[in-house]
Amino acid sequence: MSILAAYDGDVWIDWSWVGDHGDEIVTHLREHAELTALSIGLGLLIAVPLGLLAAFHPRVRGVTIAATGVLYTIPSLAAFALLLPWTGLSRATAVIPLASYTLLIIIRNIVAGIHGVPREVREAATGMGYTSAARIGWVDIPLALPAMFAGLRIALVTVIGLIPVAALVGQGGLGRLMRDGFDRGFRTPLTVGIVLTVALAVVCDLAVLLAQRVLMPWSRRRRA
Amino acid sequence: MRKVFAGSGAPAVGDLSLDIPAGQIVVLVGPSGCGKTTTLKMINRLIEPTGGEIFVLGTEVHSVSAPVLRRSIGYVIQQIGLFPHRTIEANMATVPRLLGWDKARIRARVDELADLVGLDRGLLRRYPSELSGGQQQRVGVARALAADPPILLMDEPYSAVDPIVRAHLQDELLALQRRVHKTIVLVTHDIDEAIKLGDQVAILNVGGVLEQYATPAEVLRAPASEFVARFLGRERGLKRLALIRVDEVPRVDGPVVDINATPDEARAVMDKWNVDWAGVRDGHRLLGWASGRDLDGRARVGDAPLQPFQSWVTTETTLREALDVLLNSSTRVAVVVDDDNNYLGMLTVEQISEGIL
Repeated sequence: MSILAAYDGDVWIDWSWVGDHGDEIVTHLREHAELTALSIGLGLLIAVPLGLLAAFHPRVRGVTIAATGVLYTIPSLAAFALLLPWTGLSRATAVIPLASYTLLIIIRNIVAGIHGVPREVREAATGMGYTSAARIGWVDIPLALPAMFAGLRIALVTVIGLIPVAALVGQGGLGRLMRDGFDRGFRTPLTVGIVLTVALAVVCDLAVLLAQRVLMPWSRRRRA
Repeated sequence: MRKVFAGSGAPAVGDLSLDIPAGQIVVLVGPSGCGKTTTLKMINRLIEPTGGEIFVLGTEVHSVSAPVLRRSIGYVIQQIGLFPHRTIEANMATVPRLLGWDKARIRARVDELADLVGLDRGLLRRYPSELSGGQQQRVGVARALAADPPILLMDEPYSAVDPIVRAHLQDELLALQRRVHKTIVLVTHDIDEAIKLGDQVAILNVGGVLEQYATPAEVLRAPASEFVARFLGRERGLKRLALIRVDEVPRVDGPVVDINATPDEARAVMDKWNVDWAGVRDGHRLLGWASGRDLDGRARVGDAPLQPFQSWVTTETTLREALDVLLNSSTRVAVVVDDDNNYLGMLTVEQISEGIL
């Protein structure tokens, strides 16, 4: 209640503050985007090969889903705090936990995507003379891409929303603005931080959606 | 060849031996569990036989790698299995691409294939989901024929489409086969489809037991076992009629008189045929028929009011259709004409039943 009381009478946004702190806001936005890119990049680097392996090997699948599921349950603040003694104030403190959260999402979607490839399409491919490897590369994976992209979108939005928490352990990003607002009982940086975080999530989500439509024109052309 | 599935005591296909003549349509037909699909899939090694040998054009199928073998055998399945992420054109180009054809050759072949299966070239750039079921099925056949394989395997190709489209696609396959002369092995559970499409029909019983292997006409004329007779069902006679053409049975001149005949002459003909009407012809044309009671007081038959015949058939019509036409006509005859409408003769129920003796 004391925090809320501190905002009494404060406006949601003070444009003059925004004008004066333009550079700082842009820097935090850029940091936020960079942390997102690093976390998603690392996540994809691990999750794509693991997910494909899991999709085709039931044993790998069981272990992978269980392990990434456990990772997913670790509260983000706890994960950041746990890593702090080893990674200190480097970006790794934020990126490692964030990337680990994307694993379950991406891997599950890869598995679902590969398993969603119609049986008859696979049979037709094999029956026409694709080798197993060629079929996986030219038929199974392309057909699983829409599901993989759906997973990527969820992972992106999740990571962008979690990055502000990393500000509590000294990481950059838009969370800095929010923390600043909290600490000083001043609403404007809080508002700017929240709005830009949501905006970044929406823009990234739409960008991936757009990329999917361009890369996979077949996935939206459906007859009514 | 034989096939025993792991964990199963009884073989899915036990010691089946089948000689499939080149350039013919052989239909494997039987109830579910008869191993017809298993047999088909052993030909392109989608299912590996437990024992035995399978020769395709004199080469044992295990002497080459499975993918290489499959590129030389066209394969069409019930659910079609087009690649949803590729255009119709790219779908058709699948096997030529695997075989490493150059782009110009593939393009030319795709156009040729579209024409061959009757697919509008404007659809080539579309995706499979934008096509109707019948169009997709045509693409499936075109894709299987792309690299001009001598052999085509078809696994229940028409069971997923509605009856009207199915009949149409069956006719298309027969027309296509008259041009490409492939060796086609087709699996179906529908005996009527087997009779319509097959040059040879292999009727399989549960466990891959070959009950009869013969032409459809022979199977219908002389079922080899109680099982075959039961599987053929009740309308065996009618099914046989569907295989025989009007040309193949003798026809009669019928109660037909010249347009200038007198009523007395006409009555004599009517008495001879034991009917109360007479067909009236003018040279090669059969104009219609006159009823006996309309002849009184006419100078010649042609002056009487003529009723049109509604039961025209050609020499190519099946007896089954001819019978249908005949039963629906008031004169109880089917009028046979040639392509130029010249009168050739008539069929009655007697001639048709003679046809299946």
